[in-house]
Amino acid sequence: MTASRRWLPIAAVVSAAWGAAAPSIADPPRVAEATPSVLAHHCLDCHGPDEPQASFRVDTLTRAIDTVEMAERWQKVLNAMNSGEMPPADAPQLDPARKIELLDDLSHAMVAARKSLADQGDDTLLRRLNRREYRNTLRQLLGVEIDVNELPADTRSGGFDTSGTNLFMSGDQFDQYRALGREAVHESFAKAAAVGAAKTLRVEPEANHAAFLAANQKSHDEHRRAKGWVDAVFAAANKPENAETLAEIRKRAPADWQLIHQWERIPGAPSPQDFGWPEGHDAQVPWELNVNTEFIEYEKRYLEQPRLDTGAYLTLPGANRSSYANNWFVLRIPDDWPPGEYVVRVRAGATPQAPADRRFIEFGQAPWPQDVPAMSTHAVLGTLDAPAVIEIPYVVPAKHDGRSRGLFIRERGAGQLPRAVARFKQDQKANGVGPELAVWIDWFEIERLPDTARAVPPGLRALDIPFDERGASLPPAAIKAALGRFVLEAYRGVSAPRGYLDRLLASYAARRRGGVTHMQALEEALASVLASPRFLYRAEPERSGDDGDDALDGQKLACRLSYLLWGEPPDATLRQKAKRDSQGAGLGDPATLDEECRRLLDDPRACGFVVPFVSQWLSMERLDFFQFDPRRFPRFDLAAKEAARREVYETFADLLRTNGRLGNLLQADSVVVDGLLAEYYGIEGVAGDEFRRVPVPRGNPRGGLLGMAAIHAMGSDGEHSSPVERGAWVLRKLLDDPPPPAPPNVPQVARLAGKALTTQERLVAHQEEPQCASCHRRIDPPGLALENFDAVGQWRTEDSYTPLDANGWANPSLKKTWPIEVNGSFHGGPSFIGFEGFRDAVAAREQDFARSFAKALVEYALGRPCGFRDEPLVEAIVNRAAAKNFAVREFIHALVQSEAFRSK
Amino acid sequence: MSTSLQRRQFLQTGTAIIALPALESLGFRRFAAAAEQPRPKRLVFLGFGWGVTNDSWYPDTNKPGRDYPLPPGLRPLERHKADFTIVQGLWHRHTANGHYGSTFWLTGANEFGQPGQAFSNTVSVDQVAASHVGAATRFDSLCLDCGEAAGGSGHGPGLSLSWDARGKPLGGPRNPVEAFHKLFARDTTPLEEQQVRLAERKSVLDDALENARELGRRLGKADREKLREYFDGIRDLEAKLARDAKWLGVDRPQPSIAEPKSGLAGVEEIRLMYELLALALETDSTRVITYRQPVSTLVTSLGIKVEAHTMSHYHGHAGEKQEASERRDLAQSELLAGLLDRLKATKEPDGSTLFDHTTVAYGSNIRTGHSLDNCPTLVAGRGAGLRMGEQLVVPKGTPLCNAWLTILKGAGIDVASFGDSTGTLDALVAS
Repeated sequence: MTASRRWLPIAAVVSAAWGAAAPSIADPPRVAEATPSVLAHHCLDCHGPDEPQASFRVDTLTRAIDTVEMAERWQKVLNAMNSGEMPPADAPQLDPARKIELLDDLSHAMVAARKSLADQGDDTLLRRLNRREYRNTLRQLLGVEIDVNELPADTRSGGFDTSGTNLFMSGDQFDQYRALGREAVHESFAKAAAVGAAKTLRVEPEANHAAFLAANQKSHDEHRRAKGWVDAVFAAANKPENAETLAEIRKRAPADWQLIHQWERIPGAPSPQDFGWPEGHDAQVPWELNVNTEFIEYEKRYLEQPRLDTGAYLTLPGANRSSYANNWFVLRIPDDWPPGEYVVRVRAGATPQAPADRRFIEFGQAPWPQDVPAMSTHAVLGTLDAPAVIEIPYVVPAKHDGRSRGLFIRERGAGQLPRAVARFKQDQKANGVGPELAVWIDWFEIERLPDTARAVPPGLRALDIPFDERGASLPPAAIKAALGRFVLEAYRGVSAPRGYLDRLLASYAARRRGGVTHMQALEEALASVLASPRFLYRAEPERSGDDGDDALDGQKLACRLSYLLWGEPPDATLRQKAKRDSQGAGLGDPATLDEECRRLLDDPRACGFVVPFVSQWLSMERLDFFQFDPRRFPRFDLAAKEAARREVYETFADLLRTNGRLGNLLQADSVVVDGLLAEYYGIEGVAGDEFRRVPVPRGNPRGGLLGMAAIHAMGSDGEHSSPVERGAWVLRKLLDDPPPPAPPNVPQVARLAGKALTTQERLVAHQEEPQCASCHRRIDPPGLALENFDAVGQWRTEDSYTPLDANGWANPSLKKTWPIEVNGSFHGGPSFIGFEGFRDAVAAREQDFARSFAKALVEYALGRPCGFRDEPLVEAIVNRAAAKNFAVREFIHALVQSEAFRSK
Repeated sequence: MSTSLQRRQFLQTGTAIIALPALESLGFRRFAAAAEQPRPKRLVFLGFGWGVTNDSWYPDTNKPGRDYPLPPGLRPLERHKADFTIVQGLWHRHTANGHYGSTFWLTGANEFGQPGQAFSNTVSVDQVAASHVGAATRFDSLCLDCGEAAGGSGHGPGLSLSWDARGKPLGGPRNPVEAFHKLFARDTTPLEEQQVRLAERKSVLDDALENARELGRRLGKADREKLREYFDGIRDLEAKLARDAKWLGVDRPQPSIAEPKSGLAGVEEIRLMYELLALALETDSTRVITYRQPVSTLVTSLGIKVEAHTMSHYHGHAGEKQEASERRDLAQSELLAGLLDRLKATKEPDGSTLFDHTTVAYGSNIRTGHSLDNCPTLVAGRGAGLRMGEQLVVPKGTPLCNAWLTILKGAGIDVASFGDSTGTLDALVAS
């Protein structure tokens, strides 16, 4: 790139070459002006020129951190002070206030120095398709959905999965790519072969009733016979004439259950066989009495329900081991059904007595759905009188292992056994029966729609030869031409390099000679293409001849655009637009680029941007760090957690769709929720699975990221709120003021262990040591401001802590409960009262939030860290957006139009 | 760009093909039972991410030498006390990330050491060993991992504990089933067919190399460097292929255990991986093994509700978190004790035991919490002539790489230095 086309002229360019002279930076980060004199005062005696033994000298440190070596030396200073090693305990110590400032400054300077020393320049590095881009690309090319979880994950903590340097490649991966490519091609052919196949299969759940009743009948019977025998044994044992014998037996069998086993020694006690128990089952019989008998009442209630002749009710586990017959309904897809797009339908109705949080069913795949997470949760909007059909699209893959061919439906939460059992017991306590029957299922079916109308995927269309052994008789030239067309499509508009098709054809022919069928040989050849670097990497070759112009050509720019906004290759329209580039119009024209950018963002495929970007930008992986205990947080079950996660994506997607204001993420008087989450948030009048924008009722704290359950759950440890996590997150994501990474080797504060303290009191300890205070004075206040939300984002007005005693048991007598009072201030900033006051204060910093968002966008789109030299780019994006009320799409348009995005 | 530069860059990696023993001699090496003299030395590295409980894992440093009392966290190792040594005071001076327990543990690299790179690493100690002793076995090394569980286990970036000569992450079997297949899967196809397959594979790799060359010619300098990973990856496969060709017709050893069932997690998973690891050594399938152990699922499998990272910050909370941390230590020590039992019980053809020829290094880059000093380090085994049964306290700030260098030299691998080593730990060497 020539200097004139940079955002900012850079005097020195960092060289990445090995063996080059130690590179330095033109305008390096500096430590505070006061620091050298402080160090001179405290350290020079031992670490100065007069002490020739000193292995470390502070007098040769420079304020500018411009080389890796200098960074290492300052890191040493920081480490020594953080660990409390320096100054030594017997030497004069720094004034604490001064030490806080020094550490605060130095740790920030180190972050800045690391960033500037790691600056890769303003070029975008060669990027391999990451895991999801690879999956999406196969889907677009071949119309198949391949499980890519075998591939290594691409993310490093904190970074985006688009970062070129982190997208490694290895020999193992090459083999995996070949295997997955082969699978994708094979599946695509299998689907094509099944075009037109129509299949349906319906399960009528009332057919379960016979088994359900028989199982219950058996349990009934066993219970009755067990009780009969045991009662008879005790009746005999308690006869006065047996008192002496009994006393003797009791010596060795004091407990009742032990006594039962001695029945043969009790005169007149009947044999279990008299009660229908097979020989040798004596020991097992009394156990039958311990089995819960809830099912007796539960079954009675079940049988009172209407419409048992045409449908069946989903039951909740917890009643009895044999009544699982109706805990789920399973539909098994026959093995010989072809892969492809199917639709699953469930005709269901909620009973009048069904509580709001139980009007849902879960859908998933597993032949035995105990403890298997659902794939989706669906609201049951129909009623017994007017059942409604729920439609769920489902893709049947070619590769199947039984698991993917067993589909289930069950009531929400029925898969989380502890939660379901707790629910059962709780309701049973209340009504003597158990949970009301909530969802009635008429039928459950799957249908394969003939896909003749669906477009043939571009990869297959390009081949344009029969997808079966008829192709075996084609002349080599026809095979070669077909491979050429496939390569052009797979390489996203770049034709096969010279000689490549001949090599492909040769290996195809060699395989045929070796006795392999035409289709197998073809699949191998195509799998090779899908593991070649032109497919796996988004190569942006230099233009021939060095004319100093490194603007991307149309196809490359189209690729950048579609991988950014869809996470997949350009479609035919975009490729067409890119082509016109040679005539001077096309994507080189800013208006056309804007138009395409709009089109891509309007398309549903933009979720290929929203989900990966938002989840990584906001570090949402933390949501999956914890198993929220369903007994402790019964309302935050897996369905609620998924809905909470989706709320974040859907809210951003809604902003993107409507080109709304970015600041809406900080504060809003509406939320984007589905029926399930609305119920969780206590917002009435929202039903169904579709996420939509609804107003927040007065007095409800929702609206904006800071009101979202997912954000608060991420800022917890799965059990308690974590003000430190939350505070750091607010600084990092919302306020563009990221704290330095947690420093190593800081002495831990252990003296508060076991004490009954409020969260606030506990955090005050952070202020005692300068090493802690230098960061925590910033982190803790915004974290504490969110204390009104518990670990699962539910509103609370008080919190409690129960210390453990010496044996590790919670000691209720030491339990401390306190009201939550939000009354704090930002370090060096305004104060706030209450959660709403805090949220107002955060919302006032929309400009900072915009910067943080713009930086994330730049990193995500350019696949490299947003360095110092990107500051003008960030500035330009923010300014353009600010001029349009921070409309979300303005950020994206500004980025896409930037030189950085449009050139190599 | 000039083609000669191009060629040189790519040819450099061509030397990755490892010299292999001639086929005739392989006949004698087919099984460990047909022993060579003296018995080969083996190295095992076990890494456990989130460190240990500070107060109950480390012996009292005021009692160095043989007569130190075993702290509670190590008590399950009591019966082996004479056969391992704890070293205190070691660290990697360059590491600064309190969540990376394994990324640099075997390398000692500086994450920021390469200007213009946000992350860099260097070769790990096991791979140095593998490049010296790996040629004689079917696998030059075995890098075991725990798959998805690595995420919550405090290991940091990487695909296992191992990093190749270029500082790129090395992956390997991620669960007992994968490890079992790698070690013992038997190829029942006829030899001729296997030869055809190798030839086909050779052509696939040639083709991939040609594609990479073609693309490389069109890329700018930095991109070409990046594409080298692809190129090097294919080269590695070629080297493996050459190795496979030498082992053609030599069956993998008969496993003495059944194929593991899938889905094991935590304690049982580690126990089984240890068994497979011992089998790999016993059958002389490889002589260098690393294992990046799961911590998150270990904790869950113990019925502990506290999340693993939260557990590592037990300070100031005592109670539940500290108890979890201590139970984790105990479980890990018990597992290690089991492995040492296994190595001691396994007889070598010459009547000695596997333990006599193996060195096990067990530890983490993280001490506890975010602390990266005094990395927990336990060394066991008589395979490297190291002094056993002691607590060795070295001056604070001694490079952990000095320990790695000592182990390398002890195992007969003659290298001048490793990582940021400043020398060997002479006190660790048996006199």
